[in-house]
Amino acid sequence: MKIFASRTPYRSRRRRRLALKEGSRYTLLMVLAVLFLAPFLWLVSIALKTQSQLAIFPILFWPSQADWQNFVQALTLVPFWNYAANSVILAMIYAVLTTFSSALVGFGFARLKGRGKRLWFVVLLSTMMLPQIVTLIPTYVLFARLNLVNTYWPWALWGVGASPFLVFLYRQFFAAIPIDLEEAAILDGCGYGQIFWRIFLPLSLPVIVTAFLLSFVWVWGDYVTPTLLLSQDNTTLAVAISASYVDPNNDPLPNVQAAAALLYILPEIVVFFFAQRYFVRGIVTSGLKG
Amino acid sequence: MIRVQPGQTELPPAVHQPRQQRRRGWKRYSSRTFYLFILPWLAGFLGLTLIPLIYALLVSFTNFDGISPHWHWVGLSNYRELLRNTDTWYSLGRTLFFTVLAVPLNVAGGLGLAMLLNERVKAVGVLRTIFYVPSIVPVVASAIMWRLIFDRDVGVLNAVLERLRIPVITWLVDPTVFYALLIMILWGLGGGMVISLAALQGIPQELEEAAMVDGANGWQIFRRVTLPLLSPVLFFQVVTGSITSLQIFVQPLLLAGNGGGVQGLGGSVPRGDFFYMINVIQQFLVFDRFGYGSAMLWIFFLVILAITLLLFRSSSFWVYYEADHDHE
Repeated sequence: MKIFASRTPYRSRRRRRLALKEGSRYTLLMVLAVLFLAPFLWLVSIALKTQSQLAIFPILFWPSQADWQNFVQALTLVPFWNYAANSVILAMIYAVLTTFSSALVGFGFARLKGRGKRLWFVVLLSTMMLPQIVTLIPTYVLFARLNLVNTYWPWALWGVGASPFLVFLYRQFFAAIPIDLEEAAILDGCGYGQIFWRIFLPLSLPVIVTAFLLSFVWVWGDYVTPTLLLSQDNTTLAVAISASYVDPNNDPLPNVQAAAALLYILPEIVVFFFAQRYFVRGIVTSGLKG
Repeated sequence: MIRVQPGQTELPPAVHQPRQQRRRGWKRYSSRTFYLFILPWLAGFLGLTLIPLIYALLVSFTNFDGISPHWHWVGLSNYRELLRNTDTWYSLGRTLFFTVLAVPLNVAGGLGLAMLLNERVKAVGVLRTIFYVPSIVPVVASAIMWRLIFDRDVGVLNAVLERLRIPVITWLVDPTVFYALLIMILWGLGGGMVISLAALQGIPQELEEAAMVDGANGWQIFRRVTLPLLSPVLFFQVVTGSITSLQIFVQPLLLAGNGGGVQGLGGSVPRGDFFYMINVIQQFLVFDRFGYGSAMLWIFFLVILAITLLLFRSSSFWVYYEADHDHE
């Protein structure tokens, strides 16, 4: 310590410069954090304002008294719970099916050998790059001709068809598992069906959770597909809150819509907080190893 | 990328069977099993991707209107018309302009945030969450939020202007609505940030320390060490970001106040937000021109494909892959 003490002037100057740098970084981060949070805060502010508080000039930043009536209206002006149930049913259909089918396909690509496997894998990766909306519209036209519009069948079909993104996620995970396990099972007389079901699937629980959460959230947040394929009475919450809140004169009610939007995103954000690492795993695996 | 090559490893010869026969049986079994396992995806790919694409190609040579059975083949006339139509070029131009602005800002912004968070920062978890959450907010909700921010009568921007005694602005019309949309999209850059942050944390500390010992300053280390190592990850973001951004249409529609039901999808937007896919959707849902719309889709498919290939071509100039880094 004594030796270093002689260098104090130099070190303190350096430390001051470091502190300055640190300070400016924190300031910048705080400003950015406020900017990123602002839309949420404004949504809450609007959702708590009464119709007359909305009309005040100058525009109120924050209502002096919270008015929870908007949330009641958000739930009662439209059959909110019905729409929420539709969203959950649809998301469950898709998420359960695609979580399982993607695991099957991922296992195939990771652990099995077959003629043309390389080619199919390239095709799979390229479908991830395929402009989705370009295929969605013709698919919608086809579904209409097959009388599948206004039913939940399309989501079941998409679910069975697996998600290339999730297939990739599973494949990365399965490919890293040591081969010994598999060899031992084969020597014991297990077929690949059993190896998948008894050994690999239980091992991949974290990936299953990731796949399920991601696919559930995709359907919960999807706006275009239900708009195209479903009608007013069997559609999802996403579609319902996008335009339904009007007063008897057909004028929009932004404060009620804001309350509805909060109710709509709240479950997702709560789930996200508890399962953050699963979400992050999904996005990081795709981004780092793609 | 592939560390294990399962299935290719030879099995120890079974005790009771001649070696040759055992192995041939094993191979055949394995290939059939492979196809059994990937069958769901294969069927989905054929039925839900390939057939719709081919169907759209066929429809693009007709004057089909979506219902009427009295359609007929019109050859290439849809394609000729769309090449002549100034709306096509205008909407394509707006789309490219938006992409050229949104994608670099998105990737650079995400990288910037990631670098700010990569230093030893207190409360890094909270900050990361704050920056990331917007990217998982469903599109309907984020459109509602940003409409309320930019709204003329109840918006927070005009609340600020009123306090400053500046006349309020109608933001959600031309020309400002285009930039409002850009801001709304950039709000979701946390997805890229998380990827870049993970990549930054994967860079071995020794590399930067070695550069520092060699006398490199902060900028040089970033430019010569960090950036090359991150370039594959940034490249991935540029490619996927471009593909997403070129197809943009839900956000501008919702930002223009078109919600609920199919009518909303065919709704109108300010001219500055008249993107290619909005043009396409209107052909289908407003004008019932399924043939013409399909032709527009196919041209767009090829445009996106060409841009993607171009990006991949360009990667050899600016994307750095470590020699021993096996990539596909």
